[in-house]
Amino acid sequence: MADLLNQLANGTLLGLLYALIALGFAVVYRASKVFNMAQGEFVVLGGFIVWWLAADLELPLLAAVPLALIGAGIVGLAIERIFFARMVGESSFSMVMVTIALLILIRGVILVVWGPEIRPFPIVFPLQPLVMGDVLVPRSLVYGGAISIVTCLGLSWFFSRTRLGLALTAVSQDHQVALSLGISVRRAMIFAWVLGSIISAVGAIIYLSGKSLNFLASDIGFAALPVALLAGLESVAGLLIGGVLVGIAQALAQHYLDPAIGANVASLVPSLFILLVLFIRPTGLFGWKTIERV
Amino acid sequence: MRQLPSGVFASSYRQDAALVRTRKQWLALGILLFALALVPLLLGARYANIGSNMFILAVAVTGLQLTLGYAGQVNLAQAAFMGVGAFTAASIAGHWNLSFILTIPAAGIAAALFGLLFGLAAVRIKGFYMALTTITAQFVFHFAVINLPASWFGAANGLKVPPAHLFGQTFKDDVGLYCLNGVVAAVMIALALGIARSRFGRAFVAVRDDDVAAGMMGINVVQTKALAFMVGTFYAGVGGALWAYYIRFVGAEQFTLFNSIWMIAMLIVGGMGSVVGGLFGVVVIVGLQELVTSLGPQLAELAPDLGGQIVFASMNVLLGLLIALFLILEPKGLMHRWQLIKFSLRIWPFPH
Repeated sequence: MADLLNQLANGTLLGLLYALIALGFAVVYRASKVFNMAQGEFVVLGGFIVWWLAADLELPLLAAVPLALIGAGIVGLAIERIFFARMVGESSFSMVMVTIALLILIRGVILVVWGPEIRPFPIVFPLQPLVMGDVLVPRSLVYGGAISIVTCLGLSWFFSRTRLGLALTAVSQDHQVALSLGISVRRAMIFAWVLGSIISAVGAIIYLSGKSLNFLASDIGFAALPVALLAGLESVAGLLIGGVLVGIAQALAQHYLDPAIGANVASLVPSLFILLVLFIRPTGLFGWKTIERV
Repeated sequence: MRQLPSGVFASSYRQDAALVRTRKQWLALGILLFALALVPLLLGARYANIGSNMFILAVAVTGLQLTLGYAGQVNLAQAAFMGVGAFTAASIAGHWNLSFILTIPAAGIAAALFGLLFGLAAVRIKGFYMALTTITAQFVFHFAVINLPASWFGAANGLKVPPAHLFGQTFKDDVGLYCLNGVVAAVMIALALGIARSRFGRAFVAVRDDDVAAGMMGINVVQTKALAFMVGTFYAGVGGALWAYYIRFVGAEQFTLFNSIWMIAMLIVGGMGSVVGGLFGVVVIVGLQELVTSLGPQLAELAPDLGGQIVFASMNVLLGLLIALFLILEPKGLMHRWQLIKFSLRIWPFPH
């Protein structure tokens, strides 16, 4: 029983971390209609900026973390200006391919600048786990879970209740119509990429705190993909529920199915989730029903 | 469709329907084939190997061209389908000692059946969601190869492949493989040109441009999409079988998402919606890859702490930049640029 509780608690918290990473997908999609396949690379890039400021330049954490978030925002701005400002109104295939190109390009640049070595990431959250009765959870994930709940609910309110948020939502429905109604598509896209990049850096800090960092950490992006799909790409608050479901499914599969079958089934859980969602309910749980079918 | 300069016209239906329509085109084709035949004789084994690599990729990319360029169905896992073909060919050639004349079509059919699974998904969903579904094909392929019984596909160790043989003749040296790959590639490309002009190719284009309108005109959209996937993945399977005979060893790590992205990059650089354009892309990108590999030692001096990783790192930068720059600056690809150059030469010295 304690075993099961432990798995559930850890799965839930891991799922909340996935939700925060998936929030990077959702924010960019909600405000610019681009699905950012390079999300995992943004996380790694944010991680490297934090590492560079805190470990390499030896700034105190209280200065390094805000500076890193500003740095991540500037990177997001640069990427929007260089690539996506020229892609307004292109087909979804071109957009996805540009983000895939970005994924590969950022990985190459990280390798050239920082190399492939594994580096210790600064300890942002205390290392000792939180103990509640029989349940043992890592402290960074507890803080991370709280951050992701607050951010998701806050952004959900922002996108559906404020004037600016609604304007961004209009852009994600149709660039041309939004433009004709006097909404600046350019500003919306800048906002989306800057915010998406900052959220990725926050996710990187929670994910990597006290662990090791190299370019392969970007796999978290693919782990978070099913969360974004399950919630529906447009839903921000739904990410919390999607994240918890995926996190628990993965934790349980890892703990109970892997020893029983002997194969690494848990690694297949995210892909299975993607396939199931796409076949059964392509809009996800809370997405808008605008998927075209033939 | 293919444009001929004004004044060149067909005087019989036979001539109008021909694949190669003018004497000059015959001449150009003849020179090209002659030059390709001379490569292993004049330039030696290294260039024959690069040529083999190009032929194999040409088959897989032509398949992707039919699925993505003509029918507009996004397939981000062409390498996984290639892998299905490679493992099928390796497995049946190893177990029953069959000739390549049987294993290569079998590999194509196996890949096409695997592709049909995902083609059926294309019936339900479109565009970006379709891209995601095909990415899962990559994970499924990898998981299946590693976890199926080792006697089938060698599990994590991979499979050794016996040399290709036909009527007692084996192909295992560089020149022999170059000829085998070249002949198969030529057949498959000619077939693709035929498919693109046929009723099916036109249906592909109609579905790509507007599937609702295509359905209104009496095209069976569901069947066309599934067919586009099957044909494209059949090509991937054939390419994979050639790859298996060429490397003589297959392993799951040879067929990654990264390889699929390279193939899409070839399509984007060459030009979507034209079989010849895809071939342009293959030649240009494989050429660039070889350039980066041979410049490896010089690059390593520039960044000494990276060591051998520099080639991998600069390949990443090259691939990312190629895709992004072509999509932003020349989304129609080199083929379009080539047509423009040809057109402006024809009307020279007039600007338009």
